[in-house]
Amino acid sequence: MSAVARALPRTRPRARTRAVVRSLALAESRRMLRNPVLWACTGLSVWMMWSVVPTPDEWPGASYEEMATCAVPLLFAVSVVAAVSFNRERLDVAADAPVTEVQRCVGRWVGALPLLAVAAGYAALLAWRQRDLGGLWLGTEPGRTTEALFTAGELVQPVVLALLAVSTGAALGRRLPLVSALPLLFVLWFLVAFYWLFGAAAVVPLSILQVQPVRVFAGTPYADPLRFPSQWLLEAPGEFSEQWSRVVVSAGLSWWHAVWLLGLSALWGAVTVPRGRARRWLVAAGSVLAVVGVVAQYWVLP
Amino acid sequence: MTVAPLRQAALPTARAIRWVPLVGVSALVLLVLLVARTSQRPVDLVLAVASAALACAVVGALHDPAALLLAAAPVSVMRRRLLRLTLVLLPALVVWGVLASVSHASPGATSPGPLLALAAAGVAVAVWTPAEPGVLVGASVPVVWFALDMTVPGSGLLSDAAGWWRTAPQAVVAVALVALLAGRRR
Repeated sequence: MSAVARALPRTRPRARTRAVVRSLALAESRRMLRNPVLWACTGLSVWMMWSVVPTPDEWPGASYEEMATCAVPLLFAVSVVAAVSFNRERLDVAADAPVTEVQRCVGRWVGALPLLAVAAGYAALLAWRQRDLGGLWLGTEPGRTTEALFTAGELVQPVVLALLAVSTGAALGRRLPLVSALPLLFVLWFLVAFYWLFGAAAVVPLSILQVQPVRVFAGTPYADPLRFPSQWLLEAPGEFSEQWSRVVVSAGLSWWHAVWLLGLSALWGAVTVPRGRARRWLVAAGSVLAVVGVVAQYWVLP
Repeated sequence: MTVAPLRQAALPTARAIRWVPLVGVSALVLLVLLVARTSQRPVDLVLAVASAALACAVVGALHDPAALLLAAAPVSVMRRRLLRLTLVLLPALVVWGVLASVSHASPGATSPGPLLALAAAGVAVAVWTPAEPGVLVGASVPVVWFALDMTVPGSGLLSDAAGWWRTAPQAVVAVALVALLAGRRR
């Protein structure tokens, strides 16, 4: 007499699949949110944001630009936390395990959603802080404002960047050991913080962290600034510019930049999922979004 | 007596080392430095990030998935570590030279001292930390030290200590070497 093991059914009821994914997501998000690196770096970002206070002798627009870069430690931490989670997927699991790789992947992705909520909370705090300060300073006299606030597109950027941070960390964590992923994540996020390197018009749309305002030629260094239109925000000739520039914050540029970031996130996300329809779909959607985002940014660039 | 096996092990070890971090970090920094050449902005900080990231990659190369299997081999762990470090550090220094020559940074920023200091500190921590998370903790040292240097405000002992990898790299390397000598049997 012999016992014959019954093979597991290939298809499972949808309700049971949902329950499995929900359980996995809960467990993953609990582990991600308990990671001290996340909260240490979030604290660092908030502290950096709080220490930005506009002063009369600052570089024109320095406080406005610095506020955008304060999110970098948070984004680095989000990447690291996602990498740690997806790195566990590198442990070999039996091919006929009751939870498939796709379900585990979806569970990790859903579990990472609270990280976006942390980034959204940070963005809300950023908006509140700017209003609490009475606005930031942009431009130099005679074209200057002391009440500049981030546009909605700029405030959305930390959340979309957090999505990119999750997908980047997940991709590197899924495909490399942590000791290999760590230096790459570090160099990636700290290099994007050097926003002034990506300020040229040709590179702005391709940047990861887009810091506005954009400078547009207004006049030669000998031009009389009082003859420029009164509503223009201006920047005087200085160490890095030999001309009068018009300082422009473009809401359209911010929104299309978010589309470019969504495209990049989808492309990185494709690396995390097993080969198949989901990966092909993500590659196609990511490519389309990235191309549309970049082209549209060049289109609306002031 | 012990050089011959190490020489024989050099090629297989070089094949076993993961080169992705070093190549990826180098490519990213090189790309940024080339972009920076068009903007005429200071890049000293970019090189500081590069030194921390390269140091992180160098320490990360100590990660040996076959460590348990090789534990019975008649070559000590420290000698195997030294072999891995030699194999990675030489290309890392070459990369550093290329990055320094491509950038238009100030002369003080192109010295390899900070890179060596961060790498030595990371290796020392990796050796003294228990085996399982040792390399990961050691590889985190350059990143954490760099981040502290960027964030600790004002002047004082903590602020000075956060910048020792830049201001006194020889001393950091010396202390790390002493720590490595003390832990040569670990």
